[in-house]
Amino acid sequence: MRKVGVFVCHCGRNIAGTVDVERVTEALRSYPGVAYSIDYLYMCSDPGQDLIKEAIAKRDLDGVVVAACSPAMHEITFRRTVAAAGLNPYLCEVANIREQCSWVHRDDMERATLKAIQIIGTIVEKVHHDEPLVPLAVPIARRALIIGGGIAGLQAASDIAAAGYAVILVEREERLGGRMAQLSGTYLNFDSTADLLSEKVEVVTRNPHITVLTRAQVEAVGGYLGDFKVKVRQQGNDKEYEVGAIVVATGYDLYPKERLSEYGGERYPDVIDGLEFERMLSPTGPTAGEVRCPSDGRVPQEVVFVQCAGSRDPERGVSYCSKICCMYTAKQAMMYKMQVPQGQAYIFYIDIRALGKGYEEFTQRAMEEHRVLYLRGKVSKVFPQDGKMMVWGADTLSGKRVEVAADLVVLATPMVPNADAFGLAQKLRVATDEYGFFSEAHPKLRPVESLTAGVYLAGACQAPKDIPEAVTQGGAAAAKVLSLFSQEKITHDPIVAAVDSELCAGCGICVEVCPYEAREIHPLTKVAVVKEVLCQGCGACLVACPNKASHLRNFAPAQIMAMIEALEGG
Amino acid sequence: MVIGGGISGIQAALDIANSGYEVVLVERLPSIGGHMAQLSETFPTLDCSQCILTPRTVEVGHHEKIKLVTYSEVEEVRSQGDDLRVKVRRKPAYVDWERCTGCGLCQEKCPWRVTSDFERGIGERKVIYTLSPQAVPNKPVIDREHCVYFQKGGKCGACAKFCPVEAIDFQQKEEIWEEQVGAIVVATGYDLYPMERLSEYDGGHHPDVIDSLQFERLLSASGPTAGEIRRPSDGAVPKEVVFVQCAGSRDPERGVAYCSQICCMYTAKQALLYKHKVHEGQAYVFYIDIRAGGKGYEEFVQRAMEEERVLYLRGKVSKIFPQNSKVMVWGADTLSGKRVEIAADLVILATAILPSQGAWDLKEKLGIKIDESGFYEEAHPQVRPIESGVPGIYLAGAGQGPKDIPEAVAQGSAAAAKVLALFASEV
Repeated sequence: MRKVGVFVCHCGRNIAGTVDVERVTEALRSYPGVAYSIDYLYMCSDPGQDLIKEAIAKRDLDGVVVAACSPAMHEITFRRTVAAAGLNPYLCEVANIREQCSWVHRDDMERATLKAIQIIGTIVEKVHHDEPLVPLAVPIARRALIIGGGIAGLQAASDIAAAGYAVILVEREERLGGRMAQLSGTYLNFDSTADLLSEKVEVVTRNPHITVLTRAQVEAVGGYLGDFKVKVRQQGNDKEYEVGAIVVATGYDLYPKERLSEYGGERYPDVIDGLEFERMLSPTGPTAGEVRCPSDGRVPQEVVFVQCAGSRDPERGVSYCSKICCMYTAKQAMMYKMQVPQGQAYIFYIDIRALGKGYEEFTQRAMEEHRVLYLRGKVSKVFPQDGKMMVWGADTLSGKRVEVAADLVVLATPMVPNADAFGLAQKLRVATDEYGFFSEAHPKLRPVESLTAGVYLAGACQAPKDIPEAVTQGGAAAAKVLSLFSQEKITHDPIVAAVDSELCAGCGICVEVCPYEAREIHPLTKVAVVKEVLCQGCGACLVACPNKASHLRNFAPAQIMAMIEALEGG
Repeated sequence: MVIGGGISGIQAALDIANSGYEVVLVERLPSIGGHMAQLSETFPTLDCSQCILTPRTVEVGHHEKIKLVTYSEVEEVRSQGDDLRVKVRRKPAYVDWERCTGCGLCQEKCPWRVTSDFERGIGERKVIYTLSPQAVPNKPVIDREHCVYFQKGGKCGACAKFCPVEAIDFQQKEEIWEEQVGAIVVATGYDLYPMERLSEYDGGHHPDVIDSLQFERLLSASGPTAGEIRRPSDGAVPKEVVFVQCAGSRDPERGVAYCSQICCMYTAKQALLYKHKVHEGQAYVFYIDIRAGGKGYEEFVQRAMEEERVLYLRGKVSKIFPQNSKVMVWGADTLSGKRVEIAADLVILATAILPSQGAWDLKEKLGIKIDESGFYEEAHPQVRPIESGVPGIYLAGAGQGPKDIPEAVAQGSAAAAKVLALFASEV
């Protein structure tokens, strides 16, 4: 039996205001298997930590329970403390008597005190059953794979390479640049996207640390954080690369306008989408930058822009907002008016979402300086009549129906994930949301990490975003890769599954259920083995095993039962 | 050096420090966390802000590569070769933080209460205080202006009497020293447009006309009402609540011309949380456009409208004035073309986001540019959004323009990437 020390924290008045800490300390002193107990005002303070270190040395403790706040707060702190005193850090556990006790029972000191004693008792039992563990260390291949050579991928590649690490940039198309290469100019300042982009491409292609693979695709991904093995197919040839981290920057497609039959998207040449209009506006496009009706090449005098053509419309398209359409439509309408000053541009919208620095002012300019006519309402129907495209819509502000006989209709169709994204997500074992966009680890605080360790996200593959946001995310993903590469080795939490080979029948059910491919049946011994660096400790295998041959280290069934019994006894 | 200890600066500091470089994080207030520490819950997942923030602030506090310098401001910056020499001035806390264990006894014993800035004026704090129980560092400062010991010549001194480790030091002086750094990330964040300047919205006179950060404090479990929705004037539970969007934004005549970007989402969240707490209450939102542009944002606003029956009215509010025990809100519904009048119990103004007050001074010291609205200007709006144009100085967070938490976090990381690349190239 271990000699366990219990350290009860007052957390100022946070705990001591509700829980009688002295009584708790006293009660634990006579608890079976507890060799020592003491309370202190702030256990996480330096004197508090010294108290723990001293007790380990003087009382020869080989297990520590700190009764304090949530382990999410200070488990690392106290594990470091006991490690400094020479004890295995996994023999230190935190009993949460603040969030789970004192804070929620402020009106009942007696019961809160009894509950605190019970909570600590269970954790004492846990420590008695804990194994000393050592974090798993994995070497890192200091080379990054970027999937997608659009602006987000280019930014990630150049930032990683600028810090001196090797990058492999895989691009499906023949050239780098992605969607940005198709655009005419940027909003706000009408800068040439081609010029802005060629600077970035130049930086990437010139950097000796970056290997650019165009007309290439990721075929298969194996391995794990620090040691991925990625098979890339380039023009029929497969080659395997070892990389330590992966940045996904596969960008977007547009929702096919053909599916919007009430807008005539599938039938009429003069109904085009936002990217087709960009090509028309672009000096390198099919009309050398001149706006012409695709049907007969005439200069359109009445142009209708339809926003939310499939966005914010769960019935006919997608329910989300595509975020960038309000701004590029304002830009497109302005560029049209600059080219055809006597022409009229109409924009049908639901809300004008000018979300960015200077964006509001920009849409105001479209309205006021360029006399673009904004109509608040949805378009119900687009159909041909007398050589024109009739647009039926509503103006919800006047409450009237609006009919425009247009020469050209531009549909701002929704951004959807790239067609290859779903297959890639499966290869990478990365989650996607209901629309197929890659899921970030946390919407607020971990926007460029996926939940799969070592796989990061940048740009529109995660959700619709514009150029500055994609650039920012590319840079942010690079920072994550750089932090990773600066480590000597990757340490991996040793709270992973283990197999009792005596009990394992080699049925393989656990191999099937493991979401991380962290299990296999050993070819010789025919029992299940755990690939510890892949295991995330989720516990699916424990539940699935018919023989109860699997357990999670330091959460073994006997351990949990002992903890529950402590509750019943207490 | 990272200037500003909000979420953006925290992220930049952690990413740089986790790559093995040393970081000095300078924060004006006594503890880090910025505005995020004041928020109740976050859209669209309704995660508790404090709960997701605290692990980050704690990590900063413990990080061996981060020198955390709070209650301090940048005094002067000059470049010397590749390096920047930054003079930092630390205000006297009148508490010896080396000795202080953060036990909180001084705050308990201090007999004097004053209005708290952290609670946005709707709550109180002691004269010796920390910003919150989870403050990092968890060390108090004495508010000299309100402290009886300072103002009445040595009377009181309760904190000193009760402090178990003799950490109170009434003689403490400000400190000025110099840090030598290779790069600076500017992450000074935002303030809100003062309600006093919105005279047609009663100019902040009426206690039941509050701004959105005040409402966050009302919603917050750690706020002055412990998360219960009570109107400031008499503590009654408000049954009719009006949210006024674009209160000073998109309004060049009365406020600022730009859009503050985050108000549509936090207002939807606030209205939804209000309805969670006061089921029978009615929430109205006046808006011009609903700008729900992020991932899951559109769906979130739909939820507020459909599931929580928050009433959205498209139109501006023309006037707010007290009448009897209510606050009258006059507005327009541009969709029906009718005038709307609501006798509200509580009005929340989504006031415009402004660059933080120190931004003007700091740009002089750093030699970086600001735009006409007072936000730091980036080198190029599309392709160089993080760079200031001055080598070695990068921008992150709302100091560069209004932004929400995930954008501020991404910018913090992106600025870190620039710093890491710079440091790697110098080796």
